[in-house]
Amino acid sequence: MSRFFQGGLSDSDYSSSEEELLSSSEEELLNSSDEDDLSEDSEFANDDDSDDSESDSDDDQKGPSYFLKKSFVKDESDDDSDDDKKVVKSAKDKLLDEIRGAITIIDSSKVINEWDSVLSEFDKLNRLLVRAGQQNVPIPNMFIKSLVALDETVTNFNSDPERKKLNASMSKAFNTVRQRVKKSVREQEKLVEAYAENPEAFEKDDASYSAQSSAAVLEQEETEAPIKPGKSAHTAGIFRVLRSVIESRGKKNVDTADQIKQLEEAVELASTPYEYISLYLRLIPLRFDAAANTGLSPEQFSATAKDINALFEVLEKNKATYAVLETAAASDDIEIEPTPNANGVCEILGSVVSFVERLDDEFTRSLQQIDPHTTEYLDRLRDEQLIYTTIVRAQLYSEAFIPQAEISKPSADQLSRIIVRRIEHIYFKPASLISLNERKTWESLAFVSQKSYIAEYSDAADYTDKLLDALSSVLYKQTTATYRKRAMLSHIYYYAFNNKYYKARDMFLMSHLQSTIHSSDAGLQILFNRALVQLGLCAFRNGLIQDAHQNLFEIATSQNLRELLGQTYQRFNNQQQQQQSASATDRQRQLPYHTHVNLDLLEAVYLTSALLIEIPQYAAGVLEESKQKQAKTFGKYLEGHEKHYFQGPPETTKDHIMHAAKALQKGNWKNAADLLTSVKVWKFFPEAETLRNQIREQVQVEGLRTYLFQFKTLYSKLSILKLSQLFELPESKVSAVISKMIFNEEIAAGLDQVSNTIIFTKGVKLTKLQELALSLADKSVQMSERNERLAQQSNNSYNGGSSSQRGSHQNQRQHQNKNNSNLKYAPVTGALSSAPGSISGALNGMDRRKRTTTARA
Amino acid sequence: MSDFTPQELNIARQYDLTSKTIPFLDRHLVYPIVESLRDIYDDKVIAQLSLDLFKDTYMTQFVKDQYKLVQGSVPAELAEKEAQIEKTFAQLNEETKEILSVLANQEVQDHLKQDKSLNKEFLETEHGITEAKINKLLEFGQFQYNRGDYTMASDLLSNFRILSTNQESVISATWGKLAADILRVDWEQALKELTKLREVVDSRSFSDPLTQLHNRTWVIHWSLFPFFNSENGLEQLLELFMSSSYLSTIQAASPWILRYLIAAVVSSENSTKNNLSNPVFQKRLKDLIRVVGQEQYQYRDPLTDFIKALYIDFDFNEANVKLQEASVILKTDFFLQNIAEVFLENSKHLITEVYCRVHQRIDIAEISKNLNLSKEEGEKWVAHLINETKMNAKINESEGTVILEHQASSVYQQVIEKTKALSFKANQIIASTLQKQE
Repeated sequence: MSRFFQGGLSDSDYSSSEEELLSSSEEELLNSSDEDDLSEDSEFANDDDSDDSESDSDDDQKGPSYFLKKSFVKDESDDDSDDDKKVVKSAKDKLLDEIRGAITIIDSSKVINEWDSVLSEFDKLNRLLVRAGQQNVPIPNMFIKSLVALDETVTNFNSDPERKKLNASMSKAFNTVRQRVKKSVREQEKLVEAYAENPEAFEKDDASYSAQSSAAVLEQEETEAPIKPGKSAHTAGIFRVLRSVIESRGKKNVDTADQIKQLEEAVELASTPYEYISLYLRLIPLRFDAAANTGLSPEQFSATAKDINALFEVLEKNKATYAVLETAAASDDIEIEPTPNANGVCEILGSVVSFVERLDDEFTRSLQQIDPHTTEYLDRLRDEQLIYTTIVRAQLYSEAFIPQAEISKPSADQLSRIIVRRIEHIYFKPASLISLNERKTWESLAFVSQKSYIAEYSDAADYTDKLLDALSSVLYKQTTATYRKRAMLSHIYYYAFNNKYYKARDMFLMSHLQSTIHSSDAGLQILFNRALVQLGLCAFRNGLIQDAHQNLFEIATSQNLRELLGQTYQRFNNQQQQQQSASATDRQRQLPYHTHVNLDLLEAVYLTSALLIEIPQYAAGVLEESKQKQAKTFGKYLEGHEKHYFQGPPETTKDHIMHAAKALQKGNWKNAADLLTSVKVWKFFPEAETLRNQIREQVQVEGLRTYLFQFKTLYSKLSILKLSQLFELPESKVSAVISKMIFNEEIAAGLDQVSNTIIFTKGVKLTKLQELALSLADKSVQMSERNERLAQQSNNSYNGGSSSQRGSHQNQRQHQNKNNSNLKYAPVTGALSSAPGSISGALNGMDRRKRTTTARA
Repeated sequence: MSDFTPQELNIARQYDLTSKTIPFLDRHLVYPIVESLRDIYDDKVIAQLSLDLFKDTYMTQFVKDQYKLVQGSVPAELAEKEAQIEKTFAQLNEETKEILSVLANQEVQDHLKQDKSLNKEFLETEHGITEAKINKLLEFGQFQYNRGDYTMASDLLSNFRILSTNQESVISATWGKLAADILRVDWEQALKELTKLREVVDSRSFSDPLTQLHNRTWVIHWSLFPFFNSENGLEQLLELFMSSSYLSTIQAASPWILRYLIAAVVSSENSTKNNLSNPVFQKRLKDLIRVVGQEQYQYRDPLTDFIKALYIDFDFNEANVKLQEASVILKTDFFLQNIAEVFLENSKHLITEVYCRVHQRIDIAEISKNLNLSKEEGEKWVAHLINETKMNAKINESEGTVILEHQASSVYQQVIEKTKALSFKANQIIASTLQKQE
């Protein structure tokens, strides 16, 4: 009998432990294979057809934790009748019957060479075996017997001349059967050998086994029958309730609400810590199960959170004697307390961390579903504090069992998981908010005696930095790359968001994530994009226009910006295969609204930096080859804007910036600055006023440059004094700007120190033909250089470059240097030129995969 | 303490790099630097520093002296330690005597060959010199180094290197030998060792990139000693530091090295010779400007500020102010003392050069002021400059100005310039390709 319980137990734990094993890409595969399973199951679970298809379609909308329930779904379809007790019997016997039936068909079909039916039955048989494994039914001996017989037949038949007479499809089926049988034999090697040695024993065992199993069922029925749960206050009663709950878990037509009530009552009656722990360990998953399809309602949610915290309380109080560990051994009988280990601690199998994770998932899911513009969303968001506190508590609890020295070992995985959760709750927040959060959390956790060795709470101003550093550094030590990457990106995001540009940028460049991010899963890629965007915004706040433009350029001009940032699950797809709203994974990937990057702001920042960089270039006329590529987008916007017949006053952010661009082109910098600073979204930056001033200063300088470029042909001399009045800049600044332009040969002019004027050199205005001739010359130089490099490469590969002349050697070195001179920035541009594009590429890749799976289904 | 004004002292102390470089240097290597700080700190402070520095070494005599300077008395345990050291010395000396005498044997020396494992076999069979005995050499070498007998240490370590087959120990012996050679002021030998180390550091594949980074920072710091003291050292320094891997090491791990890089670029010989047309110098300068600009947020001192003012902000007054400050640093910095004069001279040159590039008419009074020269000196300076660089400029004495003719090269000229070399290059490529096919 205990075997059944064990099955039930390990099944429920399986579901929680399964969660972390799955990376999202695997999920899909599993999901699809699961669906296959389901459709197959319905063949014999025929009275359940409607249910099955329901859960099938449900599967698409179950949100973040849908894969958690997979195992439940499996169970549901396994057990099809109303009555619990009968179920046990019929499921198992039915299984055996099925197996027996399949074997009979195989036996008869193989004789008449119906290989296709052998194949289908054999497949079915394998599936049944998988299910048998799930129900802890050992592999039936009759299977081994039939397997060996089949193997023999196949081997014999292969050399049989009749084999050649089979038609194409039969022959194909035969080959497949042959391979599968071989595979099965290999898998079941031991049993097969045992059978070969002693076939009779198998016959006997088989009989005894079925007798034993039916006896067990009977016995169980007897014990179960008289239970009236929750009525008596005895321990036995509590465990009886528990047992009945465990048994019916995941089955159809079980009134979970009723069971929850029973358990709740039992909790009130419980007296020993062990009872509490066991009860909570069942009650909490049950609560999750109860709302598996709909998501937890706020009431259910708070009840669950309360239970989890109550569990923590019990555990914290009895730290010396009881521990819930993922690594503990499964117990056969729940009534018996596990024997204490060497330190006097009873280890109970379970995972508090997965409870908290599940709770967090539920929270995220509800945030994804609620319309973010309603008050409901805000109300829900208030629960975050609760979740966060619970997460911290779980972290503390895990720390108690994982010594600091073992932090990077695989056994410390649960700690890393909970830390990932914790980081996810704070990385996108400003430091002040985090410290507020932390303060409240630690206030409510004041009674917990466990001290964190990872990050002790303090009032210090730089506490948040230290917290993030400490948490991330734990994850950096993990062997799992995903944890490391996630921590790295969140860390970067945090610093960028909190205005520490250089720190964030250096981390970004040194992480070398750009080179590996393409192969990461979509969630990580989204985080990567978010970090990149935040870095760009941060650069802008710090007045580093060039850097901001470089960081944002590709992502801001992308067509599916929202998608790249995980802010929508709708996808731009021209093929309308999946026009039918997004799939579960897509939804899951979407981030809750309060974590979103403000896209308006992103656009404003990008366009403003583009304006400041490109307008002077336009005015300069000759755009360099390399710059032209970047300039295109802004130019396009501008052209589009100019095409309008009627240009009203600016309304949107973009309008403002376009008008500003035009004003700047006319040399009217004041107007441009006014337009730019009146853009409303700036107020979302923490220090809006300084930012406005900064923009103004930038516009002054760029305005001056534009002015000079635009009107240089009209003047022979310009007084610096006048320019400084015009642009309200100090004279020294004006002359510095002009000096720079002259030094970089942007304008042909010289300063006259005596009269304090700028003198333009005459006769340098080029005709169109001359311009073209120049660019032709440039291009031919480029071509020649490329040629040279090519020749050198092949030279080097042939004779190690030994024979190349000295002159070319030097050239080569210069080339290397030229490439290397960009070293520090190279990764960024590399990322920009490829990252977002390839991320959408990755998404598309997923599409394709999904298409094939749907086609298969 | 010496002849600096309080402000100058302030600047010197504020930008003193000693505390930053110490972690990357060996104890013994720090000593000369600490010694050089006498200019800006009290003798007492220096004595304390040297004491702290050498307390843990075996240089007992020296430590005694320092104790006397600092405390007036010598602690008792020092005598004990001294005796202990004497004993170890005698023991190690005894143990290595055999191998050294064998090595001194002419016959043995003739037998030694290129192949180390062969040598080892030979020594072991013929003279009974085992691996353990060889390792004693390393130990003794370290001991001697620690005792301050650098010449002896250097010899021992080089002997060890010839014999040992253990890669790790050979590398650490090389580091030790480099330090010993530096301290013996044998720059030529030190440079040789440095080249060996560089090869090791660059070619070896490190399991951890961080280790390589550390090794590179050490190379960078240690190499400052020979580079700034030997002839033609600056050229080599530039070659090393400007190579991409070392440049990024500097940027990532030790931005303060920028000071020495700037000093080297500005003072390198190239800059005095007609620098406008010297592509190597221009290239280095360009790289330098870029790096200085990038690292502004991490590291600033008057030298970087000077480069920034001159080439990024084009603020000549500021550049001049910074140059004044920099001159103090140049005079007090241990490494830069040698090249202070050259640096100042060259940077004036650079300022003038940029000045002339941007201006069409210059007031001599103004530029003299900028260069800290009297008006007459300024005029001479400009005349000299015009002469030297063959600039197209004339001095208008009556107005006190210089007129510079900027010639915009004509379009035709530009096109010709650009395309001139093309056919030659193409021929070259063809020639080399044909050669290859043969």
